[in-house]
Amino acid sequence: MRMKNAEPRHEVLWPLAKKAVPAHGAAPRLPDLSGKTVGELWDYIFRGDAVYPMIRERLRARYPGIRFVDYCEFGNFHGARSREIIAGLADKIRAHGCDAVISGIGA
Amino acid sequence: MLRAAAVAEKIGVPTVSIIGSAFLKQAAQVSRGLGLPLAIATYPGAPMVDSDEELRAKVERNVLPDIIRGLTSEAALDLDATPVEPQPGSVVFRGTLDEIQEHFHRQLWSDGLPVIPPTRKRVDAFLKFTDRDPDEVIRVLPPEGREASILSIAVNGVMAGCRPEYMPLLVAIVEAMADPNFRIESAGSTPAWETLVIVSGPVVRELDFNFGQGAMKVGRQANSSIGRFTRLYLRNVCGYRTPPGTGDKGSIGYTFNVALAEDEEYARGIGWPTFAEDLGFKAGENVVTVQSVVCISPPVYSSGDAAVNHVQQFVDVLGRVFCYGSHSGVKRGYWHPLIVIGPGIAGVIAGEWSKDEVRRYVWEKATMPASLMRYFCAHTAGLDLDLARLVEEGTLPSYYAASDDPHRPVPIIVKPEHIGLVVAGDPGRNQSRGYMSNNAQGGRTSRRVELPRAWARLRAEQRDMSKLPPRTTG
Repeated sequence: MRMKNAEPRHEVLWPLAKKAVPAHGAAPRLPDLSGKTVGELWDYIFRGDAVYPMIRERLRARYPGIRFVDYCEFGNFHGARSREIIAGLADKIRAHGCDAVISGIGA
Repeated sequence: MLRAAAVAEKIGVPTVSIIGSAFLKQAAQVSRGLGLPLAIATYPGAPMVDSDEELRAKVERNVLPDIIRGLTSEAALDLDATPVEPQPGSVVFRGTLDEIQEHFHRQLWSDGLPVIPPTRKRVDAFLKFTDRDPDEVIRVLPPEGREASILSIAVNGVMAGCRPEYMPLLVAIVEAMADPNFRIESAGSTPAWETLVIVSGPVVRELDFNFGQGAMKVGRQANSSIGRFTRLYLRNVCGYRTPPGTGDKGSIGYTFNVALAEDEEYARGIGWPTFAEDLGFKAGENVVTVQSVVCISPPVYSSGDAAVNHVQQFVDVLGRVFCYGSHSGVKRGYWHPLIVIGPGIAGVIAGEWSKDEVRRYVWEKATMPASLMRYFCAHTAGLDLDLARLVEEGTLPSYYAASDDPHRPVPIIVKPEHIGLVVAGDPGRNQSRGYMSNNAQGGRTSRRVELPRAWARLRAEQRDMSKLPPRTTG
């Protein structure tokens, strides 16, 4: 006589948890960067001090009147004062009249 | 960096974020967790190993076109639709033990080890050991933006092999990890730090933690399963999964830490305050403390009947081991080493010195040339460590800029009070060990453990139900 498979079966619960992320729309993109003010946010790592000057140089050559707000104006958002800097970022971006922002560098 | 970009997007300013190609999956996960489509400019490879020419070529060829597209084209904004997910507490699978293991592995819900099936009955047994509502949410946790609910703690506690009576500690651990001071948003960073749980109070003995010989080895259920729980929770609820998952970018990494418990009776017996008392808790309070650990020292052997013999050995060994990575904490003005001192050694030291004197000595003597700290920092992420500037902005105390000599000795630990001291280990051997945090990430954070009102009754019921023979000691 064949033995019936008596191995128990279990019902198990989902081990993750509900996502609770309110959806935000992204800001409208700009039709052209000419004459616009671009803010630079840098975490002071991964050679941003070499990368940002290259970006400025090339964008200035392509978009007349483009202006940059140097990363030094915003401070290191990855350093000892990161929370304070992030908390004050919106006001600083507005105060500098930024039309766009470049954030880096994640690697 | 994506969180900084999100600030700008939310006030109507378009952004683009420069990301290394190896970090794109993580960036997509963070973007989904922020609920915001973010434009990315991809840097192929790693900037830290490229020549100046390669760097320029990649910026011009790859990064710049992405920047222009990201700031000017809506098409650059892709946010993957979130798949429909089960409801918390719902049954997601039915099967045998083997089938459950396979399913959990395939769904990336396990840490690679077998899990205890989280059945409703087992989860309910855990929930009995807390007075909190299963639906209560401690905090929405990054990077995936999931709710750290009491229910999710119970489910992962079951899976990790915990006992139901550990539930009050598990809740306190998640509360501590969810505290902003812990910086859980950085738990997937490349140094690959792991959480260390330190347990204090009467629960150490009541729940049978090992605080003696082999305290930090896998082997005792309370220490091992609670350590495993922290890793599973970071994986399942936060979303820090190693490949083929995403979120955990630890470059090499190491395994989870088992929970550490202090030999509090010994500490009191030699006249020292316990670790929890050092942190401001009262004697007799049950407390969990979490902190990051990125590096563990070799066993430190010391001998002699004078305090300085042992504490100088901490300086000589731990000072050398920790000097390499200390720049990462120094530039943030904070990191927190932990020294686990063997009871026999602690007894000798306590005969002459207070714990504050031990901290003061280690802080004062464990130094390194500022030039070497700057060199290590530059090789990690290309940062020029300017100690004078950090002093000027108030991040570091003035002694970091005491002279202009580039080779001047500077402390590897920012302040004496950042050093944690725990008495644990083999009373019969002259060994200690040091644990290094990953800068301010995984910041040392404590929570009092709230036992349920029915704790005594629940524990008595467990003892009545136990028909098993006592644990062997052989």
